[in-house]
Order: sequence, then C-alpha cells, then structure tokens
Amino acid sequence: MEGVLIECVQNSLRHLLYRNAIFICERLCSEFPSETNLQLLAACYLQSNQAYSAYHILKGTQMPQSRYLFAISCYQMDLLNEAEMALCPSNEPMAEVPNGAAGHYLLGLIYRYTDRLKSAAQQFNQALSLDPLLWAAYEELCRLGTAGEATTVFGESASECIQKQYMSHHDAGPQLQASSDDHIAVSGRQQMPENVSTRQLRHLNANNIKDNSLNHNGAVFSGSTTASQPSNGVHSNISFYNTPSPMATQLSGVAPPPLCRNVIPNGQLSSSVSADVSPRSTVKSTLQPPRRKFVDEGKLRKISGRLFSDSGPRRSTRLAGEGGPVTNTSGVPVTAGNGTNHSSKNHTSSKLGSAASRSVTVRKGQSLSTETVNEGQFCFFVVNHIICFLTRLNHNLGFSVVDDSRLNTVSTTSGSFPSLDTRSCEHDGSMSRASTSVSKVANGALEVLSLLKILGEGYRLSCLYRCKDALDVFLQLPLKHYNTSWVLSQVGKAHFELVDYIESERAFRGARLASPYSLEGMDIYSTVLYHLKEDMKLSYLAQELISTDRLAPQSWCAMGNCYSMQKDHETALKNFQRAVQLNSRFTYAHTLCGHEYVALEDYENGIKSYQNALQIDARHYNAWYGLAMIYLRQEKYEFSEHHFRKALNINPCSSVIMSYLGTSLHALKRNEEALAVMEKAIIADKKNPLPMYQKANILVSLEDFDGALAVLEELKEYAPRESSVYALMGKIYKRRLMYDKAMLHFGLALDLKPSATDVATIKAAMEKLHVPDELEDSI
Amino acid sequence: MATESSEGEEETKLMGGNPQLVVDGDLREMAKNAAWSVSSCKPGNGVSALRDDNYETYWQSDGAQPHLVNIQFQKKVKLQLVALYVDFNLDESYTPSKISIRAGDGFHNLKEIKTVELVKPTGWVYISLSGNDPREAFVNTFMLQIGVLSNHLNGRDTHVRQIKVYGPQPNPIPLQPFQFTSTEFITYSILR
Repeated sequence: MEGVLIECVQNSLRHLLYRNAIFICERLCSEFPSETNLQLLAACYLQSNQAYSAYHILKGTQMPQSRYLFAISCYQMDLLNEAEMALCPSNEPMAEVPNGAAGHYLLGLIYRYTDRLKSAAQQFNQALSLDPLLWAAYEELCRLGTAGEATTVFGESASECIQKQYMSHHDAGPQLQASSDDHIAVSGRQQMPENVSTRQLRHLNANNIKDNSLNHNGAVFSGSTTASQPSNGVHSNISFYNTPSPMATQLSGVAPPPLCRNVIPNGQLSSSVSADVSPRSTVKSTLQPPRRKFVDEGKLRKISGRLFSDSGPRRSTRLAGEGGPVTNTSGVPVTAGNGTNHSSKNHTSSKLGSAASRSVTVRKGQSLSTETVNEGQFCFFVVNHIICFLTRLNHNLGFSVVDDSRLNTVSTTSGSFPSLDTRSCEHDGSMSRASTSVSKVANGALEVLSLLKILGEGYRLSCLYRCKDALDVFLQLPLKHYNTSWVLSQVGKAHFELVDYIESERAFRGARLASPYSLEGMDIYSTVLYHLKEDMKLSYLAQELISTDRLAPQSWCAMGNCYSMQKDHETALKNFQRAVQLNSRFTYAHTLCGHEYVALEDYENGIKSYQNALQIDARHYNAWYGLAMIYLRQEKYEFSEHHFRKALNINPCSSVIMSYLGTSLHALKRNEEALAVMEKAIIADKKNPLPMYQKANILVSLEDFDGALAVLEELKEYAPRESSVYALMGKIYKRRLMYDKAMLHFGLALDLKPSATDVATIKAAMEKLHVPDELEDSI
Repeated sequence: MATESSEGEEETKLMGGNPQLVVDGDLREMAKNAAWSVSSCKPGNGVSALRDDNYETYWQSDGAQPHLVNIQFQKKVKLQLVALYVDFNLDESYTPSKISIRAGDGFHNLKEIKTVELVKPTGWVYISLSGNDPREAFVNTFMLQIGVLSNHLNGRDTHVRQIKVYGPQPNPIPLQPFQFTSTEFITYSILR
C-alpha cells in the first residue's frame, strides 16, 4: 500500500496537482509514519507554497535531507536562525552540510542576509568547488564583489571536476544511457560489482533516470564530493547496491558507515544513484548548447536544486542555459538542450522538475526498500511509467529541442517504448558506449564551461562596475545567447552605469522583445526611461509590468518612477513603499524610496531608506550617493565627502559621483583636491558636461577668471543651450568689469529660459551692472 | 480675476475668484513645515481649518480687528504668492475685505509689503508678493503675517477657508549658482 500511495503522490506532483498530492501524502504519513514519508509531504507542501506546513512537520528531524528541506522552509518563512541551525547544527560542528553544494549555497544565502559576508563568500566558494556549475553561487559571489575570475572558476579544474564525477559514476554504477531525448535506455556500462542484481540496478537506474529527467533545476551535484574520491563513490555505490539495508539506514539519516564517509547521507544517496544517470544526461545535455529559460530564480532554483543532489549534469545544463537564455520569472521555460529526458520534462516548469525529482528521490528510497517485496514488477512498472510519461510529454508539449538529432531520436524512440524497455534491459555491457561517452562528457563539460566562462566573466565585471569590459565580454557570446532577455538586460544595465541611456534603452527594448514576460532588470529599464524623460514609454512599461505580475517589486518600481517623473512624489513614494512591502530584500526599491523622500524634503526618512538599502546590499552605490547628496544639502560636507568616496570605491568609473565629490571638496575649501577630482571626472566621461561646469565654478571661487572662462567657452561647444553656462560667464565678465560682454551673456542666458529664481537673479545682476556703468567707462 | 492698480497707492482691488486653485508649475507650496497661528478663533474653527484642503471648514476669528494669521518659517524663505480661498456667497459679512500682508523676522519687525482690497470674492484669490522690479520677484523672509483689517458689510469676525503660500522651486541640485535647463546637464546631474 505504501508503494502505491507514494507512486500516487509522485504522480500528482509530476502533474502539478498539489492538492491531490498533499491529501494522499497525508494519508501516507498517517498510515506509514516515517521520516522519508515526511520528507515527501514536506516536498509537496513546499511545492505548493506552504512553507509553514513543511516547517512544522519537519521540525526537529535529523536526517540530512529533512534538515535541508526544513532549512528551505525556514528560509522561505524568513526564519534565518532556524534555517542556519538546521543546516549546521551548533552541537555538531563537524557535521556535513546536507546536500553538498546546494546546502552550502543555501547556507551562504543565510549568512549573506544575516550580514556575515565573509562566511557567505566562503560558503558560496565551497558550493562552487563542489559543483562548478552552480551558477547561482557564482552570481552571489559577484554581487558580494568577491568573485574569482570566471576563467579560473569555470576553468580547467572545474572541467576536470565535472569529468571526474561523471567518470566515477560511469565506473561505479550502471550507466543509464538516456536515449536521445528522454528515453531511458539502461546502458550497460556494467563495471559494477556483480553482486548487485541487475534488476536492482535497473531499478535504481530507472529511478535515477526518472530523477535525472525530472530534475532540471539542478540539484546539488553532491556527486562531486565523490568525484574527488572516486573510490569512495564507488564504495558508496557498492554499499548502496549490495545491501538494501545500509541504504535504508542511509535513508533514515544515520551517519553512513566509514566506507561512505564522504558520502552525504540521503543527499549523497540520491546523488550517487543519480550520478549514474548523470553522465548520461550530461552527455546528452552537454552536447547541446543548453538553452533553457529560467523560470523563477531564487526559490525554485533552490528548492529544486537542493532537493536533488544528482542534478549535477542537469543543473549544469540548466544553469548554463540560465546564463544565456532569457530569464523570465513567469514564463514557461523552453528547455532547449539538456538533451535528455530532463529537458522534455523540465519544460513545463522548474517546479515540476524539482517536485518530480524530489518525489523520485524519496521514491527511490521507498522503492528500494520495498524492492524485496515486488522487485521485478515494480522495476518495470517504474520504467514503463517513466517512459510513458516522457513520451506523452514529448508529444504533447513539443517544445523546441535545440539539438535536432536528439529530436529525431526522440521521435523515433517515443513510438516504441515497449521495445525501449526491453532494449534498456538488454543494454548491459556495451562498453563501447562507455568510452565514447567519456569523451562526450569531456567535450560537453568544456562547452558548458566555456559558455559559463563568458557569462560569468561578464556578470562579474558588470558587478564590479567595469562596464566597458563587461560589454566587451558579453559581445563574445554567440548571437543566439546574446539575444536573450538575461544577457540584454545585463548589457542594458552596463550602459546604464556608463550613463549612456540611449544605448541602454535600446538593449532593454531588445530584452523586452525577447521575452515580454520577464521582470528581471525592468526596474533599471524604468529608471532609464525616467532619465530620458520618455513618459509615454515609461507609463506603458509600468502598465505592462503590473498586468504581468502585480506582486513583483519591479512593476511597482516602474509605476513609482512614472509618478516621480510627473513630479507627483507622494504617489511615487507610495508605489515604492509597496515594492518594499512585496520584497523587503529588493535593494533598489529602498533606494528609490529614499530619492522620493529627498524630493519631498523629508531628509530623516530619506536617510533611513538609504540605510535600509545599504543594510541589504552594501555595494549598492546609489544608496551611498543618495546619503551623500542629503548631507550635501544639509551642508554636512565632511559626511558627504566620505559617502561620495564610498560610492566611488564601489563604482570607480562614474563621472557623476566624481564631480559631486569635487563639489563637496570645494565646499570644504580643499580646492586643489577638488580640481584634481574634476579633472579625473572630465577624463572619465567626455560626454558629461558637469565636471567642466563645476571646474569653472571652482576656478571662479579661486579668482582664476581666465581659466574659468576658457573652460566655459569649451563647455559652450558641448551644451550650447544651457543657460547656466551663459549666466556664469556673465557673472565672470561682470567681475572682470567687461560689462558689454556681461550684458551679452546675461541676455543669452535669459533667452534660454532659465527658472524663475534665476531670471530674478540674472535680471538683478543686469540692473546692478548698469549702475557702475554710469560711473565708469564701459570696457 | 481682475486687478486694478491705482497709481501712487499700494492697494489693489481684487474681484471674483477661481473655484480651482491654479498656480504655475515652477511654484511650490512653502508653508508645510511652517508654524501657523491666529490671533483668535472660535472653538471648532481653529487654525487647522486653514490647512486641511477642505473648503467646507473655515477659520472663524473671535476678537477685535485686525485678525491675524501668522506663518513662521524655520529659515528665511523666498515667497512669491499668497492664495486665499474666501467666498462671499457663503460667508457674506464674514468675508474679508481689506487684507494687509506683512513680512519680517518676527513679531517685532514686521513691515507691510502689500495691501489688497477684495470685492465680493468667490473662490481662490491670488496675492502676488513681487514688487515691480524684476529684482524683487520674491520676498525673502522668516515670517509672514496676513492681516484681515476689515470685512464686507462691516462684519466683526471673519471666515477664511484656505490659505496657501507659494515660493519658487528650489534648485534640485545643491550648491549650484544657477539651475540647469538643458537635457545634457540635467541627465548628468543626478543619479537615480
């Protein structure tokens, strides 16, 4: 009965029927209370966004997989302390983090949000070393500003790591040859010790395949831990295969026997099992350039990833795909490559994959334990079921598979699943496959890594605000990857940092065309449109985003920018506050709130908002800039200088920050330094007229009128219709007693329609000009 | 709104009134953070009625003329326009007739800068504080006092429904002698 219930639950999960899954699973847990069943139930809850339920049922559990799921639910409920306790209990300092790279990644996130940035970076680095294809960890490292160069991270060692993992699994266990697309053909890479019954193996393999296929989000490839010690991996496999009982114990979370010391229990189990399949899937997947749409970054990635330790290859392809392909938060992912069944299965949603993988993981345990009962039938039942499901998916969904050859094979095999089944059973001992697949793995790994290298380097450089370099790196991408929403958003962001709003707008427009449902980076796009004063486009963007997703902070940021452009700062503030409510970890929303408070002259709240933003992300230089501007207005010049310097440390190429730093230095009467900074600013960005204007200002205060006039003459070329330039020149001429020139320039300034205050000032200056005229000869 | 300026006199006569508040975009309401006080009021019709954006509520004075509304700012501000909402049809003898505007550093040195006479106003009445000189476009002051010297039909007490005080928009970029007008300058002048 237990097996039937489990099967039913996993079936429902695969079909995304969460209510059904939860109901059946609850019956299962009450009938057969065991921790693995609890894990399955928790998985169901997490899938249907009921983290609180998962939290309650998993509280106090000790199995690594349970601890991992518990940590995820705590994380989603924002109980970071408990999540951390679960992942690394304080009374067992040497305990392994469950689920290897995924666990380290989650722990890293927890450290990050509790302000322990060094530990966070450590965790992310560890995650990457365990699984070099964990893009999310690399992304976080970039955001922390401490990422290593992509060429080293995704370089030789990474490729060796991946290969070793696949090799060890190749050697260790039955290789599941995923046939061209989904099909689970049990390959006969049988170098396994003979005491493993083939059926058992096949059973395992079938499970693995299913796991693999289902898991696309990339679970932690904890197999990597075994990679470094292939023998142990083999051992674990052997132990796993030989004795169902140790497996059972592993499942129950008891620390694995010394044999499998580096095997992370439960997670490891799945990984070792899946590892068998992984090479397969990797082979297939890596042969195709991964191109998968990324469904929902943080959550799904984590859930699916963590739960499924085996997803190494899968994850790699998916993540690699992630880098290139469009990242859409709400769309149906189009899984291109990933050759294997995973792709087909994955396409519907990452949730599906993760759910399925999760269900498979647990199911594996279950099936293994019950295997003694009705082994044979169960095995074939499983395999058939998988194949049926896969073929159905393949047919119904028909999403584009990148690799046409795969597609062909899929179609050919799909029709013949019974034969496939038998074929899989017959595949034992095709050693030739093993050797070719080894080289395929190597090639595949290299291809994935080369793609990740470019994307990673580009992202790292743009996080370090070396925008020109980042743009160059992104241009190295093949066109099909470049024209995806994620990459184009990054390009747009880089142009935005370079204050090149027109190019930025172009890039973002391309990103919108590529995937109109993606919200990533749209807040920056709205700011770009705000700068360009394109109110029509901005309001259209805001409306579209709100209709796509009312609960995304980016939509409300865009709306707020719209109101702010119309000078309705109170409504803009309300919108930004809504964005903050929706996601209090969305740094930019806090900064925008700060800007609105400043516009409303509420400096206290402005400072608070900026400080909130900095608490979340200390590298958000806009918040440093905002604070510095407030202090500048409040005439606290030392504070403002300090904060401008901080902003400049983070983003050293911004000429705007440099010119303001110069202004505050000038206010502090440190004029030489001010002039030096202004020079730097002028060089940094030729198109920015402000540093020159400020330089002229400083020169005027130093009474170097000729110098100032020279600068302003040059400035006239850049911005011929700027009234303040003429006004300042008029002032200088007046000081130099060159009255007719002064009048000329004041007149020009007035023609260019300055603000009312300036009109008054200029007219007053003109009046006072005349008074001396009567007394002296005009020059 | 028709204004007639009499030569040699500082008085202007203002008639009519807009039901809608219409001010230039480059003006900004200045008195949100100012301290408002009145010389006298009837309980329930106090000074807060002048600032609640509600035409139904009004301030009613309760003492001897002149009735005074004092607005004190935290620092010297440039002011350009005072707008009053008064309605003869509703208030009849309570409607102010002669209004004097004084400015200064405090109660001790207020000086009258403008006097107007209202004739049956029915809505928003704008009183500009600028002098004739373009140099005197603004009044730079710590305190503004609006005095109601007399009412229509010789009423003793007065009703005023709303008062708003306007000045120029501040320079969005601090420490600049002049404001920027061209797009190139404005684009590079702020980070968002």
